[in-house]
This record gives sequence, structure tokens and C-alpha cells, in this order.
Amino acid sequence: MSGMNDSYKDIWELRQPGKRDSVRHKERIKKAIKENLRELVGEENIISSDGKRMVKVPVRYLDMWRFKFGPNPKSKGIGHGEGDPGDIIAKDVRRGKGNKAGDQPGEEVYEEEVELAEIVEMMLEDLGLPWLESKENQVEIETEETVFQDIAEKGLQPNVDLRRTMIENLKRNSIAGKPIFGKIMPDDLRYRVWENVIEKHSNAAVILIMDRSGSMTDDKKYIVKSFFFWMVNFLRLKYKNVEVVFIAHDTEAREVEEKNFFDIADYGGTRISSGLELAKSILEARFPKKIWNNYVFSFSDGENWDSDNEKCIELFKELLGLCQAVGYGEVEYSDQFYNWSNWRGKFSTLHDILARTDELISEKRFLKASIVRKEDLYDCLRQFLNVGQEKV
Amino acid sequence: MKQERIEAIEKLAKENGLDFFPVVFEVVSANTMNNVCSYGLPTRARHWSYGRSYDHQRIYGEMGYSKVYEMITNNNPSYAFMLDSNTEAQNIMIVAHCYSHSSFFKNNVLFQGSDRNMARHAAEHADRIDKYIDQHGLDAVERMMDIGFGLDAHIDFHKGLYRKAYPSRHIRERVVKLGEFDDLLEPQKSKQPSRIKEIINAILPPNPEKDLLWFFINYAPLEEWERDILDIVREESFYFYPQAHTKIMNEGWASYWHAELLHQYKDISPEEHLDFARTHEKVLQPGNPFSINPYYMGFKILKDIEKRWDKKYAAGESNITGRQKIFEVVKAEDDTSFLRNYLTLELADELKLFTFGREDDWENDDEDCDDDILYEIKSRMLEDIIEVMVRPRYNNWSPRIVITDASPEKICLRHNSEELGTLSFKYAEHALEYIWELWAAPVELRVKDDEGQDVVLIFDEAGFSTKYIEDSFTFEDEEEEDKPVRKTKRP
Repeated sequence: MSGMNDSYKDIWELRQPGKRDSVRHKERIKKAIKENLRELVGEENIISSDGKRMVKVPVRYLDMWRFKFGPNPKSKGIGHGEGDPGDIIAKDVRRGKGNKAGDQPGEEVYEEEVELAEIVEMMLEDLGLPWLESKENQVEIETEETVFQDIAEKGLQPNVDLRRTMIENLKRNSIAGKPIFGKIMPDDLRYRVWENVIEKHSNAAVILIMDRSGSMTDDKKYIVKSFFFWMVNFLRLKYKNVEVVFIAHDTEAREVEEKNFFDIADYGGTRISSGLELAKSILEARFPKKIWNNYVFSFSDGENWDSDNEKCIELFKELLGLCQAVGYGEVEYSDQFYNWSNWRGKFSTLHDILARTDELISEKRFLKASIVRKEDLYDCLRQFLNVGQEKV
Repeated sequence: MKQERIEAIEKLAKENGLDFFPVVFEVVSANTMNNVCSYGLPTRARHWSYGRSYDHQRIYGEMGYSKVYEMITNNNPSYAFMLDSNTEAQNIMIVAHCYSHSSFFKNNVLFQGSDRNMARHAAEHADRIDKYIDQHGLDAVERMMDIGFGLDAHIDFHKGLYRKAYPSRHIRERVVKLGEFDDLLEPQKSKQPSRIKEIINAILPPNPEKDLLWFFINYAPLEEWERDILDIVREESFYFYPQAHTKIMNEGWASYWHAELLHQYKDISPEEHLDFARTHEKVLQPGNPFSINPYYMGFKILKDIEKRWDKKYAAGESNITGRQKIFEVVKAEDDTSFLRNYLTLELADELKLFTFGREDDWENDDEDCDDDILYEIKSRMLEDIIEVMVRPRYNNWSPRIVITDASPEKICLRHNSEELGTLSFKYAEHALEYIWELWAAPVELRVKDDEGQDVVLIFDEAGFSTKYIEDSFTFEDEEEEDKPVRKTKRP
């Protein structure tokens, strides 16, 4: 009975259950991601991926669930080597607060690599810039997508259309009196011909404004960063012809490059109007309404100088004249130790004043949102990019 | 590799007293090896989790981190898979290694109830699962398998794979005659013999049940195909149980014998011998300082036993030699008793074993704590070392959960090994959801939390919730307690 078979090697190769189940596993991951998008919006691994194509997603929700012990002070491992009891032999670096992955001891978190574009698509697939219109100078873009949409008698060998070739062959044989398929002649060959698809794209300019004053804590900035991260990735994925402008402000505003948008910290007070004013002048100079669909999205914690609020309202109104839509988001998120907005509770923020300004309340194209928890981000994104908003 | 060489090794193994199943050797590509390894059997019912291990195996293999030279299944005949890129010397070593594994499967006590036809049965399981997928859809079948795998550590290995159902519920009437002195002790008692009516098996299960899968297969309101899926998962869990619990001994035994047989095998060139020595050394290195290599550990302990008993034998303190002793040991022990009985302080010192743990004993476990987590050596005491190695093996690497009371309205469970640690509520939530799906009624699991408080974890239509109980109860071992009788007395 004993013996060695290597002649069956190829037969074993025929069975590839691993590949089949691996495909199924990936399907399950995607499903899990889709069901947990709300949680994923604030996922640090993704937000800080800095332009990588593949991102690591902790797949907490696709675990093999079973009864398990929680963290146990008594839990120990076994090892070998030199040293005396009490000697430090290893350390785990914690990645700072707010980091959920891996800092729950006893919980294994396993990560899967997923294409960023895929997540963006899942997250925002039914969304778009609201009230987008066809404008002059619409850009025609030849996309990389090709469609086979014609048949020709000359063409490349790999593009032979078998079905059409067989029909031609049958026809020719039938004319010759033998209605069977066979003996293909060069004349029978038919080729598929492809064409590049041409899409028309609306021009869109999106101006993102972020408050970087001293009251914007790291947590608040992280929220804004997450929001803009998804926004920018979404816009780039969905629209071929979109200009994104980044404006940072404290009491003064300046246009910055994308890569510096989140890095530089300012410590001054806040004048939200400064950012809006700069946006207005950029729009007037570079993006005339006749040609561009313009959008301005501004984020702040609303800790504005009181004297500035009136000016902001005026500017919002003016911007609405230049834009398809204007959005203002306020981050009220605060961590438990540094609760700035509660301390200032009796002062109203810009958000509250806006909520009382009748002209802006009735204006559908003025979008307002407030974010209290990380989970609100997802709703806020969906609110700002709700393409189904009724026409004005 | 030539047939004659295999036969020579086989003959040598038999001469040394190894008693094994016939072994069929298959030479396969790395890809096939990844497939076989991620499933654990040549053919097995499909599940997405194998796809995950296949991917990991493949990626690690491609990066050169882990190379699987061989894999053998406990079956009669035993199927052994060898990588087509192995060298001749490696293959000679693997052949010796595999005959030894096969002899371990055949003789170790834990394997005596083992299904020796599992290679075929698992393939039949795969067919059945495919059939169910056709009939009920992949999602439904996968869900039932997820549930099965979620509970498959909770089997009662010692009660066995095949168990009789509990005796059915019935009422028994018993006449209690008056004792000789009863009228003196209790003069007011009636002179008539009293009749006692007992409901036998009023409570399901009659005793706390730890084979959760068996219980649900037999008592949960399931469809036949759902029952069968759980049955398949349970059968395979029983099949793999002895392998998981003898890993150190089994690998030590196979390593001991491949070294011994190749030492005796003379038909080998010096180059081949050098190649063998290199591979042997690679397999038997101490490895990562924060874990133990079972090959190395098992090999070292067996060698140590042999040396010690040879010495005893020479001194007339033992009537068996070292070699005879290790034959006895691998027959009778599992890893837990093997470590407890045969790891000595001298050997632990030689292997430089220690236990390690968090330096802060988990005190700074705030989410906001930014400090690095430090690990320190905790102990080099033999008892501590053995305890750390053995502890997770209690109850099959799982918390001990028992079913205490099940009725169509509700099922109650209890966690019974809190001294080993408390449950992760997050994981319990999902596991309870599984049980809720099986039992189709609210599920309650009584546990203690980290502070020693009694809590009931509940899963019902409303989802997961917890309820703290005022009156603390004590865990007692009710396993042995006779609890099936709910008495109603009638004079």
C-alpha cells in the first residue's frame, strides 16, 4: 500500500478550493464594509493613508465569533531566553488616543487590504454634487473605457468575432450549396471594432474652507480632515473635470496646497468671514458662474468673533449668488476633558445665528450640518452630496 | 525519490518498533500544499474562513516566512503530502517523520476513538454541503456553518462523538415504606407508607451540558439539513481535537524518530546527510523568543525522558529502558499531562523558559493612555511555566459554558470557569446570537464580570442586553450533582 505518487501532481492541481473560498471571503469583507460604512468614515487607517491605492481596513465585524475570554490580568505568555524576573523584554507602542484598533486588549483585530476607490464608491455611490448644471465650455473627455460597438472586415486577430465569422462562413458555404460550418476562409473573418467612449463633463470648482484657529482641537480637526478626505476622494473619482481649492483661516485666510491643508496649525482667533471672503474673490477671478458649477464648503467649530457673524451671513448670501450650493458644517465634537463649547455654552455659535436667519433658512441651496459625534460624519457627507435635492 | 528508499525507511521504522498505518505519499506543488493545509484535510466542506487561511498561507509562503514541507492526515491509510521542491534528503527525512506521525495517530490514547476514514468522510461532508447550498443557498448554509464553527470548541470529548439521548421525561411513583424507628423519631407521622411522585428528567438537560453542539443537534428546533450541517462541524471538531491536544508530543515524537532513523539509515550520501542535518536544525530551533516551537519542546522533553530512564535502568531503579519509557509516554499522555509529568526544572532551565506578562498587570488600561505597553519576565518557576502552558488547554482553549435549563420559552447557560478569566462580552454577544438563532427563544447566560458581579447576558428579539443581579450566587460544581428529579410529595 505504501508508496510515493508524483504522477498525480497535476490531478491535485485541478482542485483549487482555496481560490474559490478566497473569492467568497473577499465578497464577505465587502459586504461587511458596506454594512459598517458609518463606522468606517472615521477610520484612522484610511484617513491617514495619504494617497495610497490600497488601504488597510480593520475587519472587526467579520470575525469568527465564539465565546472568548476578555482581557485578563493573569494572562501570561511563555517564552525563552536570558533575563531575570522583572526585566523588561518587549514593548508595544500605542498609537495614541482615539485609536480603536488594537488597543482593546484580548481582541484580535485583523486587517484586510481593500482598494480605496472601492470604499469611496460603496460609501457614496448614489451621491453627487447637487444642482449640477451643463455650463458653457463643457469639457469632452475621452475616457479610457472602450466599447466594442461595430464589426469590420479588417481588424486585429485577437478581435475576431467568432459568432459573426461563423455566420459568414455558413452563408458562404450555403451559397456554394453545402450549408454546413467548416473550412474558414480569410473572407469569412469578421472583427470587432472598439471605440473610445466620449463623455461630457460639467466643470465644477469646489472650494473647501477649514477653520484652523486655536479652538480647533486635534479631535475637531480630525473630524474635518475625515470629511474633506472623503469629499476630495469622492470628487476625484466621480468627476473628471473638477478643481479643488483649499483655504485655511484663523483671522486671516490663505489658499494652501492640499498636502499642507491639515498640517499647519494656526493659533489665532477666528474670523470665518476671512475664509468666505477669499473664496468669493477666488470664484470671481477664476471660476465665472457662466462656465463653472461652483461649490463652497466651509467647516469650523463656530467659535467665531461675535462681531464677525453678521458679516458671515452677508457673505454666505453673496456666495450663493456665485455658487450652485454653499455648505457650512460645524463641529461640536469635543473630547471629555476639553469641552470648550460647553464652557462657552451661553454664547451662541455661528450655527445658531444661521438657524435664525430667515433668508438662509428658506434657501435650499444653503446646506447646514452640525457634527457632534464621529458617526455624524457619514450623514453630513450624504447631506452635502445629496444629488437628489429638489431643483430650485 | 525512489520507492526502494521509502521501503528501506519503512522497514527500519518497523524494526525499531514503530507501529503505523500504511502511508500514501503524494508529491504536490506549493499551491496544492497551501490548499491542503488551509483545509486541514485533502477535501473538506467549503467555508469562506478557509479562503482566509489560504490567502494568508499563500502570502506567507510567497514571502518565504513559513514553508510547509509536509502535511499528514490521521487516516488509515495516512495521506502524506510532500512539496515538489523538497530536496531528496528532505524527502527521506519527511518519510521517516510521517511514519512516526502515523504511529502516533495509531497508538496514542486520545486517538483511539478517532475516525480513521475521515479523508473519505470529509469528502462526503463536502458533497452534502454542496447539495445544501444548491437547495438552500450559499448564505443560509454559510450562516449555519458560521454558527457551528462558533460553537465547535464546546464539545465533550470524553463523552464521545456518539452519545445516547437523555432518558425521556416520565413520571415515576415510589412507595416509601416506614423505617423501623420512624415512629419513634417522628411520632406525629402517619403510620401509612407514603407515596412519592417523581418527574424524571423534568429539567432539560438533566445535568449541566457542556457539549453545546450535541445538545442543539438533538434538541433545538432545526430543520434536518441544519442539523446535518452542525453534525458535520461537530464530527470534524472531534476529529481535530486529539491533534490539537497532542501537538507538542506528536511533533517531538516524529522529530525524535526522523533523527533516529536517519542516523541508522546507511544508504545516504555525505551531501544528503549534510542537507538533512541542516533541515533538521531548521525545524528544531527554539524559534521566536515569545513562543515555543512544539517540535523543539517535544523533542527535548522526549530526549530528556530517555536519558533519565536509561540512567534509572542502569542503576536498577527502573525495569524499562529510556526507549521503552518514551513508547509508554506517547501512548498514554496528552500535552497537558506530558508537560505536567515530564517537564523538569533542569530542562526548563536548560531551555531558558520563562513566563512573561504586562509589567503594569493591565492596570493602565485606559483608552486615553498613551504609554507604551511593557512586557516583563514574570517567573522562571517550573510550576508557573507549566501552568501558563497548560492553562489555555483546559476546556479546549475556551471558556467552559454549560447549558443549565432549556425550555421552549427560554434557554439558560452559565459560564463556569471564571478562575481562568471572565468572558469578553463583545464576543459573547455574537455567540449568544448564534444560540438565539438555533433555539428560537431568548437566551440567558449567567457570568461574573471583571469585578466579580453576577451578570446575566441576554439575547432576545430586542438584541443584546445585560442585567445585573443582586443576590450573588456561588459557582459550585454541579456536574456530579444529581439534579434530574423535581420532587412533588404527596402523603
